[in-house]
This record gives sequence, C-alpha cells and structure tokens, in this order.
Amino acid sequence: MNNHDLTIRKSTSRYREDARSATRILNLFINGFQKPLHPLCPGGSAIVYGFGFLITVVFTSLVFLPTAHAMSGREVYEKVHEVRSKALDRKTEAIMILFDKSGGKRTRTLTEYSKKADPEAYKVLVVFKSPPDLKNVGFLIHAHTFAERDLWAYFPEYKRIRRIPASSQDDSFFGSDFSYDDFGGPPNLDDYKFSILKEDVVGDKPCYVVEVTPKIHRKYTRYIAWVAKDLWIHLKIDYYQGKELYRTGVFTDIRIIDGIPTPFRLDMENKKTNHRTELTVESIQYHTHFSDDLFSQQSLERAGR
Amino acid sequence: MNTDNKFRKVPFNEISLRPPFPIEGWGDLIPIIVACMALSIVSPSFADESLSVSGRLDLRGVYALDDDSVKEYPSLLGRIKIDTLTSAWRFHSWLEGGWDGTVKRPPRDLALFKKYDEVYQSNTPYLEFKEIYIAHSSNGLDLRAGIQRFAWGRLDEYPPNDLLNPWDYTQFLRKPLEDRKIGVPSVSATLSKGDWTHDLVWVPFLVPYRLPMPDERWAGIPAAATIAQTIPNADITPQEPDLPDRTFSNGNFGLRVKHTGDIEWALNLFHGYDPRPQFKTTAFSITPQGANILIDPGYVPAFHRITAIGFDAAAVWGDLSIRAETAYDINRYLDIRRELWGYPTVPSPGVFPLNPIEQQHNTLDYGIGVDYRLFEDGLLTVQAQQTIIFGNIDSLYERKVETILWANVKVGFMNQKIETNLNVAYNPEHGDHMAKADAFYVFSDFWKAGITAVSFNGPPQSIFGRYSRNDQLEGEIIYSW
Repeated sequence: MNNHDLTIRKSTSRYREDARSATRILNLFINGFQKPLHPLCPGGSAIVYGFGFLITVVFTSLVFLPTAHAMSGREVYEKVHEVRSKALDRKTEAIMILFDKSGGKRTRTLTEYSKKADPEAYKVLVVFKSPPDLKNVGFLIHAHTFAERDLWAYFPEYKRIRRIPASSQDDSFFGSDFSYDDFGGPPNLDDYKFSILKEDVVGDKPCYVVEVTPKIHRKYTRYIAWVAKDLWIHLKIDYYQGKELYRTGVFTDIRIIDGIPTPFRLDMENKKTNHRTELTVESIQYHTHFSDDLFSQQSLERAGR
Repeated sequence: MNTDNKFRKVPFNEISLRPPFPIEGWGDLIPIIVACMALSIVSPSFADESLSVSGRLDLRGVYALDDDSVKEYPSLLGRIKIDTLTSAWRFHSWLEGGWDGTVKRPPRDLALFKKYDEVYQSNTPYLEFKEIYIAHSSNGLDLRAGIQRFAWGRLDEYPPNDLLNPWDYTQFLRKPLEDRKIGVPSVSATLSKGDWTHDLVWVPFLVPYRLPMPDERWAGIPAAATIAQTIPNADITPQEPDLPDRTFSNGNFGLRVKHTGDIEWALNLFHGYDPRPQFKTTAFSITPQGANILIDPGYVPAFHRITAIGFDAAAVWGDLSIRAETAYDINRYLDIRRELWGYPTVPSPGVFPLNPIEQQHNTLDYGIGVDYRLFEDGLLTVQAQQTIIFGNIDSLYERKVETILWANVKVGFMNQKIETNLNVAYNPEHGDHMAKADAFYVFSDFWKAGITAVSFNGPPQSIFGRYSRNDQLEGEIIYSW
C-alpha cells in the first residue's frame, strides 16, 4: 500500500556508461601527470600507462563500481517486491486526510485487509468507515498474477457490485491523491524497466534513486523512486507524465513491525492541482492469514464483516 | 380486507389531535423488531461488539416549472442506520422518515409507520424501516431474517430480475432505484462455496407497491384525470385493493445461483406476485358530497402471480465494464390502453361500471449496460433495454417491442468536491424522454448542497410522458453524520 507500482528490468547499461566515463576522466587525469613526469622516456610511458591503467581500475572500482556493481535497478526492485510480498498478509486501519489548495480538508477512515493468495498472487479488500457518504463503500482486488487483476467496487447506496476495468487503476482513489493501484500489491516486474540514476540520502537513510519506466500503458510514464538501501521500501516517489512532475509521494515514520519495515505516514501531493492527501496508519497487523471468505463479493457487500 | 373505515374523510382537527406516536402501523413491525433486537441481545458476542450509527438529514425544496402542476412543500427527510459489529451475528437497521412535501395525504391515513398492506399511504410525516434484520454468517452461509431489500440482476434502472421488492412510486423517477425499493419482511439464505453463490429468499406475504394519491405531484396523469379536470372541487379517492391471504402458498420465492469468474453470471428464478403496478377495474363513480364531489376512479391495484426465469452476466472487456440480463415472465398481466377502459364521455353523478382491462401475456425483458471511463472522475454509462410482449397486443398501449435507452454521465471535479450527474432516457416507440441533471458541492465531510433539474416529455400514457407536467428545479442541503 505504501508503494506505488514500480518494477525493474535487469539493466546495468547505465552504470557501465558511468564506469566508462569515469575511466575516461581518470585517464585524462593520469595522462596529465604523465608528460611532465616522463617527457624524455618513451618506455616510461608504457610503465606510466600501465600504472595509470591500474590506478584507473582501482579508482573506478572504489568510486563507481561499488554503486554500480552492488545492484542493478531490477535487483533493487526485486528486493522491494520481496518486502512488499512479505507485507501482504495484513490488516491496516488508516486515516486519509484530503487537503485542497484553499485549506479545506476532508477525512476518510478505512480498513484494508490483504493476503497472499494461492493460486492468485494476492487479494485485497478495502472498506471505508467514514465519512458518512462513503461508509461501507468498498473495493476488492483479486490479483491472479502480479500483472493481471480483477477489481470490484461496492456502493451501498446502489446495493450493487460493479466490476472496474483495469484501466481505472491509476484513477483517484475516492477523491484522494492516491490511486486504486496504490492499494494493490506489488506489480509485475516484467512490465517495467529500471535504471539506477544515483545514490542519495533521504532523512538519514541512504537510497538508490531508480528511474522506473512502464512498458505497458499507465497514467504515469515515468517514476523516480528513492528506495532505502537497507529496508527496501520507498521513501519517496516522483510520478511523471512525460517530462511533467504530476505527483509526489513521501513515506515517513518508518517502523519495523514483525520484521517488516512499514511507513506509518504517506503524503501524496498532486503538483498540478496542489491538492494533497495524508495517509496515516493507525494500526497494522501482519501475518493475519485471513480466510478467503473475507475476500469474497459477499464480504465486500458486508463491508468485511 | 375491510377498507370501509379507511375511506372515511378525517376532519382536520382529528388529524391534528392524533397521538404524537400512534401505534397504528406497528402491527406488522413489532414482532420483527422484537425478534431482531432479542436475537441481537442474546447473541454471545453482543458484549464484545460495538455499535455503528450513522445518519442523514435532507432538506429539499421544489420549484415546479409548470404552473398547472401540483405543488410540493419543502421536504425534510432523515435516516438513521445502526449496525452492530460482530464476527458472526450482525444486526442492521435503516430507519427513514420525515415529511416528503406531499401537498395531499390520504385522508384516512393516521399511521406514522408505513404499513405493509396498503398502497396509498401518507408521507407527511412517515417512518419506515427500509431495512431491519438480524444476520448470522459462518462457513460461507449467511442467514438473514427481517425487513430486507435485495438487488438481483445487473441493470441500473429496470433490472428485470429484481422482483423481490416492490417500489414506492410516490416520488417515482426523482428517486434512485434503491431508494424506491420497499423493504419486505423476509428470510434469506446465501451459501457461498468457491466460485459459486446460492441465494434463496422467502417473502411470506405480499407487500404491495405504493402509489401516490391521484392528485399528488408524482401521480403522473392518472386514468381518471381527464374526467376529474372537467369537474370543479373533485376529490379523487382511489380504493385500496383486497390483498391475497397471508398463506404459505401466497408467499414470494426467489432463487439465484451465481458463478464468479472472468464472466460473472447468474441464473434467477422468481415465483410470486408481480411487483409492477397494474390495475383492475371496479366502477367509476361521481358522488356529490356537500361542496365537494367525490370521485372513485374505478380501478384498484391488481396482483397476479408470475414466474420469472432470468439470466444475468457481467464482464470487463478492455476499458468497458459490461452488464446484461434477461428475464422471461410467465403469466404477467398488463392493462389495455385507457381509451378502452369505458369512462363516460360526459361525466355526471352516478356509478359507471368500467370494462375489464387486464390482459395476460408472457414477456421477455432483456438489456445491456456499459460503463466507460471517459477520463479520471468521468464515467459514461449507457444502457439499452427492451420488453417483448407475446400474444395479441392490439388493445395495449405498449407496442410489441418497447425500448428504453439510458445514458448517464457522472463527472467529479476538484477531487470530487463537486459531483455532477447527467441522466437522459428515451423511449423511441412513443417518443417520450426524460432528462435529469444535478450538481452537488461537498462543503465538508458532513455537509453538501446541490441543485437538480428534471424534465419530462411525451404522450400522457408513456412511461416518461405521464410526468410531463413535473418539470422542476430542486435545491437540496444534506447533512450526514
């Protein structure tokens, strides 16, 4: 829930390019010393070149390769996927506060149930507890695989369950700045390509900054994600449409619950409308092992009861 | 059912002096309420459970655009929903009531709570349990007893398989489908196993639909309207029907078997009284009484048992969410067109027997609806449905094939702070149509306000044309908690 659909393709081309650039720079640096040191010694040149090559390799290894070789973007996201998969068995109570640019705010409280499923990838049920207009409104996800999922929504006013096309998964989640997809499980890694842009520190946490590009049609054409190196969760995600930054998600108040790193505060801001949503986790339980009955359409109609 | 006393005129002072909390109308409800509360209280988990209470107040004013139409006073409606939160036992109650702005109330009606054996009832004021039931769920079996509403079928407006609940037509077409439904005392069982769900419902006795009085705003254009218009001080008072005995064999039964998959589908079977309004004739009478002239329009609601076999399905295809359903109704009754009812051409005091107006037909209803996401927070829903009437239809107003086309565009702005809705409907066989547009602004989690405009047009007997004098603007303030 705390992360958006971000997945990675195994790709090391960018770090290779970085390493080549570093080597070129270092060679220039070495060559710059070479001439004054050995202006009259052609053989010395080979020695120096050999020494220079050695220094180049060592320097490159020390400065660039630890970053580049440590992981690829895909590998980073395989870790993220693993953590998110571990977190799938859970019950979450959360408050969403919607702030509009004029300062008005609306509050939604909700309960989210999810489980790893077999043979399906996962199942999620989200039910609103407030405001009154949304009370007992719910939606249900059955993810057959991480790439293929069925969505249903239930509106008590109409007493009918409606199937939602997957094309709506990036739409606003009941007026908030989150999307339906933000409440789903981890995505299919093969649907995205990944490249590590740089390393950064968010708060006191070192991060990989990964560019994630969907290979499938999505509302956002590009994501820049800050992934905590030691926790393998998102700390920040910028969502782009083309070159334009559309929304930014920031994940804070990270706590370790049953060994699973969990952001208790998620802020999503729409840069176009200046509307933002704060989601605060009030309580979370992992390893809940809910029965499949909880994720049925009957349960959706009963608001999970 | 003896209705003599129900037809007497109630003097104004009798109405105003009636007890503030009359017990009339509670008769049917008391056993259900007591049973629900008792079961809920004796539930072992009651001590652990918490109550969830929510409600809503809705103040509405109507500005009639047609000067000749019946007016409505401002209305104030409220609802309170109570749910218990337990693991296995649940109690749910939805109480609704208020003043619906009806200018005229049935003169005989003294009940505060809505009754389950009358067609013409007062809404000024009224209280009604839209739902109140006790439920127990375990091992995929969900049992419920009490007053329930069901939602079978898939279509949005006239789901032909949704026959278990009669409708309240007192503000027909300005209320959404679910608000029109009358909760019925019933027992239901739902068994879910894997991809299969089986629903079985028993409604032990007929609960009739509710109609407005002939001179209320949403009465449409009643059969006797032409006659009544020519008589000054006419007071049209329709008769209540004689309802069938409350025996087991007169109950309504429903069975639904649903399968969930890429294509969700269900088979539906209904055997019971047709909940759609239809009439039989008695005798048209004009009786001078003091300064007024009492008119008995000469028809009463009729109830016939039908068997409906239906199928519905839903699937997602690309960006489209598609729904469809069909139902074959056996032994359905329809009324012949009004010109053949036998009303006297020149009204005069007296009693005039009318012609038999009922015809038995089998019908096939089917329809398809599609949701298409136009853009974020913009949803287009279109629906087409048809009814084929089998047999000789020469005397009917309805054609062999009747079609209704619906389109609805729902758009939210500013993260759904502004909600707008445009709904249009068209019946090509008679050229009648309806357009309804509303816009609501959400001030906070509790307050919202909006305006609605509704317009109808078409021949007087057509489904939308009968409300052609009901063009109106509404203003509404809603407080929810």
